[in-house]
Amino acid sequence: MAFDIDKYTTNSAAVGWSDLDFDVFDEHPLPENTLRTLRYMCDIEYHTTCYLRDLLTTPSHNEPEVGAFMTMWNREEFWHGEALAAVLAKHGITVDYDVLKATRLKLGWKDRLDPIKQSIMGGLVGNDFVAVHMSWGAANEWSANAAYLRMAELEGNPVLAELLKRIAKQETRHVAFYASQARDRLKDSKKAQKLTRFALSKFWGPVGSGVQDDAEVTHVMNHLFAGPDGRKLVRDVDSHIAKLPGMEGLTIVEDSLERRGIAA
Amino acid sequence: MSPRATTTTGSFDVREFAATARGSHRAEIDGEAIARAGLAPDAVHLIRVLRDLERGTLDRMRNLLVTATHKDARVTAFLATWAFEKYWVADALDAVLGAVGADTAPLAGPLRRSAAERAERRGPIRRALAGNIAGADIVAGHVATGLVDELITNAAYRRLGEAASVLSSLVATLIAVKDRHVAFLAEEAEHKLAASTRAVRLARKAIAQAAWPIGATEIPAADRSFFEAFVFGDAEGRAAAEAIGARLAALPGLGQAQGSSLVARLVP
Repeated sequence: MAFDIDKYTTNSAAVGWSDLDFDVFDEHPLPENTLRTLRYMCDIEYHTTCYLRDLLTTPSHNEPEVGAFMTMWNREEFWHGEALAAVLAKHGITVDYDVLKATRLKLGWKDRLDPIKQSIMGGLVGNDFVAVHMSWGAANEWSANAAYLRMAELEGNPVLAELLKRIAKQETRHVAFYASQARDRLKDSKKAQKLTRFALSKFWGPVGSGVQDDAEVTHVMNHLFAGPDGRKLVRDVDSHIAKLPGMEGLTIVEDSLERRGIAA
Repeated sequence: MSPRATTTTGSFDVREFAATARGSHRAEIDGEAIARAGLAPDAVHLIRVLRDLERGTLDRMRNLLVTATHKDARVTAFLATWAFEKYWVADALDAVLGAVGADTAPLAGPLRRSAAERAERRGPIRRALAGNIAGADIVAGHVATGLVDELITNAAYRRLGEAASVLSSLVATLIAVKDRHVAFLAEEAEHKLAASTRAVRLARKAIAQAAWPIGATEIPAADRSFFEAFVFGDAEGRAAAEAIGARLAALPGLGQAQGSSLVARLVP
């Protein structure tokens, strides 16, 4: 189904939480492991800018629809960061812009080379490379959506659950965009399919890996996706990815759990 | 306004700016009134140039983000909202063009290719390489050139308001949107230039290499010449250009040399 970009841009809004009573956290603070996962999610949302940068070095943003989406998406994700930061602030955890800057400075050379690598790939492979980005984005947004809903369910705090559901609802729209773009670009190009399959199976990792410490990635994966229920969610995400043209049989999210030794 | 006016107002609140971002302007645009009043060909031409410049925001984002600027979370927080507001500014201009039945296609034609602007036409790879060598001090150049750019387009919007009185209320709104961009960029430029002599050196270089307004290298040569003549071509325009030059010259570490070369580039 085609994605209605005008409808999306017109309705794009910062996620709201002013009607939610965060004071409940004074009486019922969230446990340590939940805060650790929320902190990870918060950082990742703020880091959307880094993904945006990678997308912008490819030819994709010259298409008005893609440019419009990226503008709104980047802002919505920033607000997810702000919302989660507000929850963390109620627990005395300050996510300041200076701290984020420190995380990014720590990335060092790998991060510096990324735009160059991406540009070269984009330049060499051209438009088919955009299919990789769109499929990658779809995989990320599907897993983010699953992660938020799972977190809402696991924690059982109604205020947190409501906030996470609002965030997940916006992620659903991001999924719709990326998946429809990926499908359109993959269905007509065997080369795009091959390239995407190669990139996803070789290089995809959970959202935030490469930006966050490995120990944090493993904590979040364990917290959200360990056990049979978690594994089922992950398989659902994989089944969505596998439905993209040419991606049959891929199990990249489950594979990433296996590699980290997360128990099923 | 004195060149240093924004420095006295304290710290720009990025969170407040993000929380009060301006989205679509369409509800306030009276298409019928605009159609009735009509727009002179020059006004339509200026709107098309401005619309293309505002639409070029993502290219600008890319050029900033492939350098250490993407590591500055305060700046990227600003950029997320800035890009959003500029998207809707471009959309408002499209709505105006649509109201008078003008061509809404992007301007097309041969580009101006001067050796002085070669650096502005670099792709992301060369920018990323140069940006990596420059490191965090490069942000000062980005915010200083960003400030000049916003001041130039502000002057253009004022001209538009004078040329088309039916647009005066919309233009006032758009200038108010852009005034906050000016305030942030001015404050960041002041802080970053005052903090480092290397930042000053890199900013001077960025200013010497810039094509104005930013994104102009993608605007057809004939349309750029029109823009320069329309906005800065007469005595009033020249005074506006000189005010922008004075504002630039007053930034820490910069001076008359930067101000004058900017004015020379702006005035046809």
